[in-house]
Amino acid sequence: MSAAKELVQAKLASLLAWERRKRCEQILYTAVGVALLLAIVLLPLDGHLPIRELRWFIPGALLLALAPYFFYRRRWRAQDDRRALVQLDRAMRLEERASTAWELAARGETGATAELVFKQAQDRLRSVEPRTVLPRQRDWQAYAVVPLFALWLGLLWFDGDRSFIEQRGAPKNLAHQLSEFARELQEKAKSESLRESLRAGQELEQLAKKNIAAKSDDEELKKELAAVAQKLAAAGKSGADKNSFSAGESQQSLQDLKAELDAARDLLNFSDGVKGTQELPQQWMDRLASLPQVKKQLDREPQGGQGLGQNDLKAFLDRLNQQATGELDRRTLLDAQQFLEQMMQSGQGQKNQSNMQSVARGEQESAGDGVREKNHSNRPGKEPGKNDGADSLPEFRGGAQTQVKGLLGAGDSSAVFFKGKPTPGKSELGQDELVANYRRQAEQELNSERVPEALKETIRKYFLSLEESKR
Amino acid sequence: MESVDDIEKRIERAGRAFDELKAEMGRVIVGHADLVEQVFIALVCGGHCLLEGVPGLGKTLLVRSLGEILSLSFSRVQFTPDLMPADITGTHMLTDDPSGRKVFDFQRGPVFAHIVLADEINRATPKTQSALLEAMQEQGVTVGGKLHLLENPFMVLATQNPIEMEGTYPLPEAQVDRFFFKLILQFPSHAELSRIADITTAAPAAALREVLDGPAILQMRQWVREVPLAEVVKDYAVRLILSTHPTPDGKNGGEALAQRFVLYGSSPRGLQSLILAAKARALLAGRPNVSFDDIRSMLLPSLRHRLILNLEADAEGISAEKILSEIAEKVAEV
Repeated sequence: MSAAKELVQAKLASLLAWERRKRCEQILYTAVGVALLLAIVLLPLDGHLPIRELRWFIPGALLLALAPYFFYRRRWRAQDDRRALVQLDRAMRLEERASTAWELAARGETGATAELVFKQAQDRLRSVEPRTVLPRQRDWQAYAVVPLFALWLGLLWFDGDRSFIEQRGAPKNLAHQLSEFARELQEKAKSESLRESLRAGQELEQLAKKNIAAKSDDEELKKELAAVAQKLAAAGKSGADKNSFSAGESQQSLQDLKAELDAARDLLNFSDGVKGTQELPQQWMDRLASLPQVKKQLDREPQGGQGLGQNDLKAFLDRLNQQATGELDRRTLLDAQQFLEQMMQSGQGQKNQSNMQSVARGEQESAGDGVREKNHSNRPGKEPGKNDGADSLPEFRGGAQTQVKGLLGAGDSSAVFFKGKPTPGKSELGQDELVANYRRQAEQELNSERVPEALKETIRKYFLSLEESKR
Repeated sequence: MESVDDIEKRIERAGRAFDELKAEMGRVIVGHADLVEQVFIALVCGGHCLLEGVPGLGKTLLVRSLGEILSLSFSRVQFTPDLMPADITGTHMLTDDPSGRKVFDFQRGPVFAHIVLADEINRATPKTQSALLEAMQEQGVTVGGKLHLLENPFMVLATQNPIEMEGTYPLPEAQVDRFFFKLILQFPSHAELSRIADITTAAPAAALREVLDGPAILQMRQWVREVPLAEVVKDYAVRLILSTHPTPDGKNGGEALAQRFVLYGSSPRGLQSLILAAKARALLAGRPNVSFDDIRSMLLPSLRHRLILNLEADAEGISAEKILSEIAEKVAEV
């Protein structure tokens, strides 16, 4: 073998070794970068590790898992030899002498032409160090490794994973739950004009805020809650004495009654034909009788309310309204007290939180009077008398239903039935009757949430205008 | 056995011969330096050239001067529609032998020269064209059942005018493919025109000096084939050829213009021509090996007449040169 060929081969082999090393470094940088990136992305899953300290080894484990793949995928091939040699040719303006010399040497060419190629390549390469010709050039992966490492280290150092878990997955503490409950309780109290409940809600919210600001622990809050719960229980019991008339009514009945009372008061306000203590005409009494809950209460009055003047009737309706509101207020307070007690017993939890929200909203699953309620005792798979889970909060069903005894059966219905005479031919229904019926239906609907608040007044006026035009 | 010194001397000789040729040609041909180089490359590769240019650009002068400088026999055939194959190849004539007997004697046609200028080749009928093209391919003509070998070295330089196409017979693609190079003569620049005026309107210059002869050219043909070609460079040339071919899926590396405007890409003759020309260029540049630059430089003359463009290219004025330029730009060396 000629000296020129030897030297050229040695130089080019050294260059290729250098290029292989650079490739390995690049692969390593890429693998480290990807491992760090994955470690950062998977940070929220650190909570699943059996030992917390293992989180420090996650990038290393990921690197060990990923590196073989990267090294295999970007392994050195024959094509890379060619690429490196062409790069050298370009860098040194060898006009492909290095590439040609390498191939001729590999083929074992010994002719004079090949020797000339070796000689010319040797002349150019003799004093050249491949590392200086093709220096190490870091790509973006190499530059990304340090910031990624710093980011990962910073997140771990400052417990970024823990705060993430707390933010996303950890249950709220008692004070936050209480604050949420208090807000919803206040909303409900405002919408239903429940003064005591509103006051209780405000008090609870203040208590929750104080605890959140002081960052005191749950035990301390529980003590304070116990005092509030006692207060609520006392308020609930005192209210029970005053509103004993409606203790047997269901929550839905009370709400219906309140809605009908509003409608009845409107009727009276618009009736200009009846003054002072003058007895109400039969027409007005008929209208009041079409409101089932009001009629039910009127029936309890002597002579079924017949002969009452407008003032008497107003007083009667006001009293009814006060009693219904008071009863609703009392039941809300009792439910709140019950919830607080459960909260103190069970502490925190997702289930409790959802129960709390239903308590505050006063959600109802049952349709109303006479419909069997889906309480713990009649749910599928649960038998009366069995333990439903002492650690869960009570479900709020609108208050009274769970306390009413002996109120089973079909119960009252708020529907309006029309019965025409079964005479042959066309069925006839007078306009008065029709309008009255429609108005009754509208009044019931007006008390529901399905009619927008802004339209309620317009609807009322529309039906009044129908009657006035008739007159 | 040759030594490294012999090879170095050989390369030096080739380079010097080429330099001298350029210098002598420069005395009569103004500009067209690339053209002179490419004609010489075609000569040392054993190929033929198709020269295309408008009248008066010096095509005939170039070829005649080349003949003089190379000390080779030169003949010129003006192609016309009534030119017959025998007018090119030669024919048997009834003559008297020394004893007074009448015998048929083969009178050699103009094709029996080292350098043949086929002027306006597209004006002759296809039959006549094919007679010449057969001679180009086979390096011999068969007349009366007898094969007559042509001179060696033998080179045909055909010219055609790109603007007067009426009454012409454009060369079929298969015959165009037999030309090693297709060279385009560009109109001279201001300075070149000025120098042309000086040269052609003054007293005639001294006769051109012979710088090479037939045997030297044949030897150079041998040297050209001995120039080593690295696999990586050959692979580049192959990829360039493949890139001229449109494919339905475009997966052969064909570039955008080639995909859209080429009907048929270069033939394998194109690759042979490209590599051989690159080797000759390396030799004339005094280099013992072929570089990527050699391949790129020879791309246009080797392939421009081998691409068959579609009607869309005609409509949009896309030339083979434009497509090849894009290919040269886009195809990676490695």
